[in-house]
Amino acid sequence: MNYFTKTINKEFKIASRSGYESLMPVIYLFIIMIFFNISISYVSKNIILELLPLMIWISCLLICILNLETIFKEDFEDGTLDQFLIDDTNKEEGVTAKIVAHWLLSNLPVVIVAPLIAMLLGIDYHTSLILFFSLLIGTPTMSLLGSIAAALTVSLKRNKILMSIIVLPLYIPILIFGTSAVNNSYIGINYHSELLFMGVLFLVFLLIAPTICVKALKVSLD
Amino acid sequence: MKKLLETKNLSLTRNDYCIFSDINLDIQEGQLINIYGKNGAGKTSLLKILAGITEHTDGEIIYHNDLDVSTSWRPTTYIGHKYAIKNNLTAYENLYYSLESSNDEQIILDALEVYKMMDYKDSLIKHLSHGQQKRISLMKIITNFAFLYLIDEPYSSLDEDGIKIFNETVQGLLSTGSSVVITNHTEINNIFPNTINYKI
Repeated sequence: MNYFTKTINKEFKIASRSGYESLMPVIYLFIIMIFFNISISYVSKNIILELLPLMIWISCLLICILNLETIFKEDFEDGTLDQFLIDDTNKEEGVTAKIVAHWLLSNLPVVIVAPLIAMLLGIDYHTSLILFFSLLIGTPTMSLLGSIAAALTVSLKRNKILMSIIVLPLYIPILIFGTSAVNNSYIGINYHSELLFMGVLFLVFLLIAPTICVKALKVSLD
Repeated sequence: MKKLLETKNLSLTRNDYCIFSDINLDIQEGQLINIYGKNGAGKTSLLKILAGITEHTDGEIIYHNDLDVSTSWRPTTYIGHKYAIKNNLTAYENLYYSLESSNDEQIILDALEVYKMMDYKDSLIKHLSHGQQKRISLMKIITNFAFLYLIDEPYSSLDEDGIKIFNETVQGLLSTGSSVVITNHTEINNIFPNTINYKI
């Protein structure tokens, strides 16, 4: 087993023994959607259907921010991060594995469940499918980008608000293109360029985020 | 004896407060260095600087790079006072995932045997006592061979038997040519006769 798979395997094993924690993001999404439906129940059905995919997108973005802290926090608290930074192994590979594991465990369930919720609430199949694809490309980009902020703030005690302040402005392009792709699909116009741009953003951050993350972790631990 | 690492006038200042200054260490092959001093003297910080985790503010660290790279040994193994083990993994799994390049499971079993923890091989770390967790943490000395070991307060939380096993392990490491730097609150001449005690 190489270092990358070993790290992902380890994260999955830890998560599988942490009980219901990995279900939390999905439960949180359900709760937000229930609240959203209650709060706009007096608005006409057409407006709700138009807003719903966008609301789901924003909810996923918020869930993504909420669980960013968990990427490095536990490793920092138990001293694993110290050892990781002096190991001879490829640190970028290790950080990438951590981000991938975090996305698979925290965001992928949301990406799968979100379009199902959309269909349950009356969104058509095609728009739900585009919602799924836009989240499938958008959420890993958010994890990659967010991991930099998580690394920078790992040693701070109350880092959640600071982390949100750092990442929220950076998430704007992803949010714009993600919601725009879903909206275009809903009104029946072209959405490929939005998805393509999101794909490019994902590749760019996949290349640069792990390296920046390692440097940010070193700065944080100093 | 081959020189592994040396420091020249190493200093650390945090928020205009000088934690330590002018540390001159000369670490050679097969040497045990005991850095001792009172609480807050900067022992852990010095060890972290030597490990490359944190930066010093002044002075110089010279790593001698003429190590035998043909071995699978790594330059440094650092055992901090945080145990670096996962509560939701078993003792065995923690050691397995800490193996850097090899997947040699026999070495883990040997380490568990040496530290008398074989009965707890499949126990989750959260179900073990602090002393047992410390033993698991120290087993990484055996599972990750290195030229230089940096161990922060190894004797804390260990019982008499644990201390004996640790001392034997260190003796073994020194005889193979590795160097060990530990931090402590007192001198340790009575345990290892050739120890270099360095007061900080």
